[in-house]
Amino acid sequence: MQGWVTLALLLSLGVNRSLGQNGLGELPVPRGLTLNPDLPAQTLSLTWQSDSSLFDLEIFHTEFMNVVLNETVAVKADPVTGLHSWTWHSPLPLECTSHSVHIRARNQQSLSQWSPLQTIPGSDIPEKSESYMFPQDKMVPVGSNMSFCCIVKEKRDFREIQYRGQQKSATRLSRRTYAITVTNQPASGNTGTNVVCCSETLTLTGAVVFVGYLPGDEGLVCETRDLASAECSWKKGRDTHLRMKRGRTKYTLNGRDCLEGKTWCYSKVWEENWTLVARNPLGMVQLTDSAQLADRVHLLAPANVTAVEVKAWSATLQWSWSVAAYKKLEMVCQLQIFPHELSSTRNYSGPGLSSVVLEGLWPDVDYTVTLRCGSKQSFWKWGDESAPYRIHTKMDRPDALDVWIWMDSSKTGRVFWKPLSVRKSHGALDRYEVSQSSADEDWGTPDFLPPGNFSYPIILNNSSDITVAVAARNPAGLSQLSTVTTPAYRADSRLSVSELLSTNGSFDLSWQPNANASGGYVVEWVPTGCSGLCPVDWRKVPESDSSFTVKSDSLVAGVRYTVSVYTLSPGAPMLLQRWQGYSQEMIPSQSVSELSANQTGSDVLLSWKATEMKHQRGFIHGYTVYLADAARLDLIANISDPEVQSYRVKGLSLSSHKFVVKAYTSAGEDAGSTVAIKMEMDTADMLFVGILVPLGIMFCCLILLSICCYKKREWVKKAFYPEIPGPKVPGDWSSPQGPLDVKPSPHSLVHIVESPEWDFTKEGLFPVPEEEEESENDNIEVDTDSDEPALLRYYNQVVGDGSHSNHVLDSSGSSTASVGSTQTEITYAGIQSPTSLQGGYRPQMQSVTGPAELQNEFEADFQDDGLNTGYKPQCSWQLDSPEAENFSGSLGSPTSVTSSQFLIPESSEEKPQPSNTWFHNFLSGKS
Amino acid sequence: MEGAADSDTPVAQRSATDRAAALARLLHRDCTRLLELYKERENFLSHHVPDGERLVALGLCPEALTTAEQVGHVRSALRRCKELLECLITREVEEMGEELEGEYESLRKTVKDRLGHLVHSTAALLENGEGGCPPSPPLQCTEGQDEVDDSFAAKLWTYRVLLELIHWTDSASQTLHLFQSETQGQQQQQLL
Repeated sequence: MQGWVTLALLLSLGVNRSLGQNGLGELPVPRGLTLNPDLPAQTLSLTWQSDSSLFDLEIFHTEFMNVVLNETVAVKADPVTGLHSWTWHSPLPLECTSHSVHIRARNQQSLSQWSPLQTIPGSDIPEKSESYMFPQDKMVPVGSNMSFCCIVKEKRDFREIQYRGQQKSATRLSRRTYAITVTNQPASGNTGTNVVCCSETLTLTGAVVFVGYLPGDEGLVCETRDLASAECSWKKGRDTHLRMKRGRTKYTLNGRDCLEGKTWCYSKVWEENWTLVARNPLGMVQLTDSAQLADRVHLLAPANVTAVEVKAWSATLQWSWSVAAYKKLEMVCQLQIFPHELSSTRNYSGPGLSSVVLEGLWPDVDYTVTLRCGSKQSFWKWGDESAPYRIHTKMDRPDALDVWIWMDSSKTGRVFWKPLSVRKSHGALDRYEVSQSSADEDWGTPDFLPPGNFSYPIILNNSSDITVAVAARNPAGLSQLSTVTTPAYRADSRLSVSELLSTNGSFDLSWQPNANASGGYVVEWVPTGCSGLCPVDWRKVPESDSSFTVKSDSLVAGVRYTVSVYTLSPGAPMLLQRWQGYSQEMIPSQSVSELSANQTGSDVLLSWKATEMKHQRGFIHGYTVYLADAARLDLIANISDPEVQSYRVKGLSLSSHKFVVKAYTSAGEDAGSTVAIKMEMDTADMLFVGILVPLGIMFCCLILLSICCYKKREWVKKAFYPEIPGPKVPGDWSSPQGPLDVKPSPHSLVHIVESPEWDFTKEGLFPVPEEEEESENDNIEVDTDSDEPALLRYYNQVVGDGSHSNHVLDSSGSSTASVGSTQTEITYAGIQSPTSLQGGYRPQMQSVTGPAELQNEFEADFQDDGLNTGYKPQCSWQLDSPEAENFSGSLGSPTSVTSSQFLIPESSEEKPQPSNTWFHNFLSGKS
Repeated sequence: MEGAADSDTPVAQRSATDRAAALARLLHRDCTRLLELYKERENFLSHHVPDGERLVALGLCPEALTTAEQVGHVRSALRRCKELLECLITREVEEMGEELEGEYESLRKTVKDRLGHLVHSTAALLENGEGGCPPSPPLQCTEGQDEVDDSFAAKLWTYRVLLELIHWTDSASQTLHLFQSETQGQQQQQLL
């Protein structure tokens, strides 16, 4: 308020000063300033009276006296009323706050005084204490700028203004008024854009603004359906985003309102020029169309479509029109006929067309027809389509059958006929009727076959040909008879059947035209070797043609076909030419059979049998023979002649071999058959190698041994049979009367021992010349006989313990222990021949030394093993053995023969045997 | 109801009370969901605290002393809520057209239908049909709409109507539950 008073004072001072400066005379102050606000339009109209035509205008926000407009305008007076008027568009809603206006006149030299302030009150005056927001429910175009103001309720604080949920910077206009300005507004949602004014604690007030687009409709087209009225339609453009009631687009067609929310408009009369105005609060769009009625005829759908007469091959269709004016209209109608395989589109024309005859239908077929019509002259578009109408044509008798006869032997054959398609059966078949005649027999009673049968067996009882007639019957009647006469049977073996090569799976056939083929030709193909109910197929070829292609879709890959061409004449068909071939060769499905391998010396003869024809699946071009090992197959032969079904593999070693034989066609080899064989020697070889060779080797060895022995006979004699000196008998040792007890002389052993160096000095040893030598010899023999020196040594150590000392004493065979003893019990250590110790030796027990001493001697002997080099065993082959040498040292001691291995029975003493023959040792396994 | 002599009646009564209570619970959930959907559409309402009087006030009803009377009061309030909802639907359809067929619009119709069923169900539970509340004149949609002359005010009014629905369906649920318990107790006493 203070600012407002100050400004008023300044203005009055200014006026006074200007008046003071105007010495020429003052301009009169404009009179009767009145303000007329248009609140929705946010405009303020000013009217006043004045003689001037140039004015200064100032508009304030009254409360804060903020100048919102200061402008000089030239406004002429209305000649009628004499009033000056000027309109100001406020960026803010005028309700936001109070506005004050004053005006003064001006010319080039002078100014008038300001008129008194005129004020329009806003909604923020104290009399209106509630909260308000302006503007409310305004509709603006997308992208526009806009200001909102919030008038806060008395005694409430202000926090913010939100636009689309976002806080905006607010400007204070008065004590209670705050304003925001939003730029480039986006399109609103379904219920508009919310602008909310909030205090610190709650929502004070708010407004909704609807931001959208102008109508965008386009494409106005008018046409007539009844040859009198008009229906205009258009396409809706982009969404205006103004869904609320006030924002919806409204349409007028040539000034007449259209139904709301529709995109078409109806007019009772045809007008050649049409104008559609689409309008919403943001603006309008105008669409135009211009046409003659005859050029815009869009017929309605034919009504009551019915088939008044339905036959097997045609039907008459009739319909009506709901518009009487159509009856004189030259129109064209289009029938669309389904199903798909029989579908077609047919056009009919005529004035007021209401029936047509549908030709070219097929018997016993369900048809569905739809119909639509249009104006023939100045055709605009097809009219609406009628509802689908179903027609079922009547049946007719079937077409004649395609019949052929196939002979699988000279006496038997089978008549085949092809199933009739829907187009040829003309109705569901009831049966087939087959009858036959021959030269001897006329047509007999026909055989009836159900519709699923397509062949009939025939048997020739005599040599005359048979003619077979086949016909199909349906409810409408019997087809024409199809006849065929049995051709002469020709086996493949009796013909020169050539090999037929396929081209892309098809057989391209050509033959020499035959003058007798008055009825054309029949090309027949059947799997080779088939018998019984075979898949026989055939085609009839006109007489004029001499070539034919058997398509791949009627052939099976890997099957051999016999293709025959017959000439058709009034008589029986005559075979003209025959081929065999595969539409596509494949590798054999089975390998060769009965593969065998037979050995002949070092050779193997492989033989096999060819695969059955049905498994060949191609012409066999030959065989490959492989030698198989664990990892691979080695090709050893490629037999290109398929008739050759054996192969000899030569020069094989004596071991196992595996062979694989594969047959091959142009498509490749089969999996192969495998045979294995183990090569063995024959009987003569086995006899030679197994018996004669060892015998020969043995014989040679004997000869060599004999020669050797002969050469070294002196040494052998010396070594094995030394000369035994004869006994020297000092007295009369003439032979007694009794039997002579011949015992080997102990001296013979004495002579063999050349260097008896072992210790005679040992304690407890008493030299006893004869027995001692004998004992020594025995000990040496023990040494030589011992196979287990280690065991012996160990045992001697063990028996040296006190617990066995008595045993040692008792059983010792040593000379020291046996001195003075009458016991003859001897215990051996190690494995010894019991006979080797019996050479007249008689152990002498001697108890000169105690057990302890004996033990000491034992240990001393073992410790002195390495020193007993002076001991020389008598057997020369033991001298090379260090172990034997060691043993000899120990065994040479008087206690070394102590043994508990086994006892020699007493009886053995009574039957002494030679103990030192090499042959005996040899046989007993001693070295 | 109370004092019914027919032996079959208590069972049927209990069953009807059960159904009404269950329907009230279901309706309360529907109304809560409806308000959620409305808040999703008009997101400024998330922080809005409505001021002013309740839209549905039962000033003319005498003080409810018994549970049965409370049921009658609740039924009167529900009937008023139904009228308010119908006005709301009429207004929204008029403003926005019938093209919008979202979840909000679908649930809005469901609530209206179930509210009608609940009003009918509660009436069947009462002997005199009104439970002590005088019949109120049907609401005119133009009543009290003077201040709802702009879209923003209409949105606030819609918000208040939905809050009333939640309040009174919750109240109906609790009252019917109490009524159901009391009815069961009386029947058991009669059986003893």
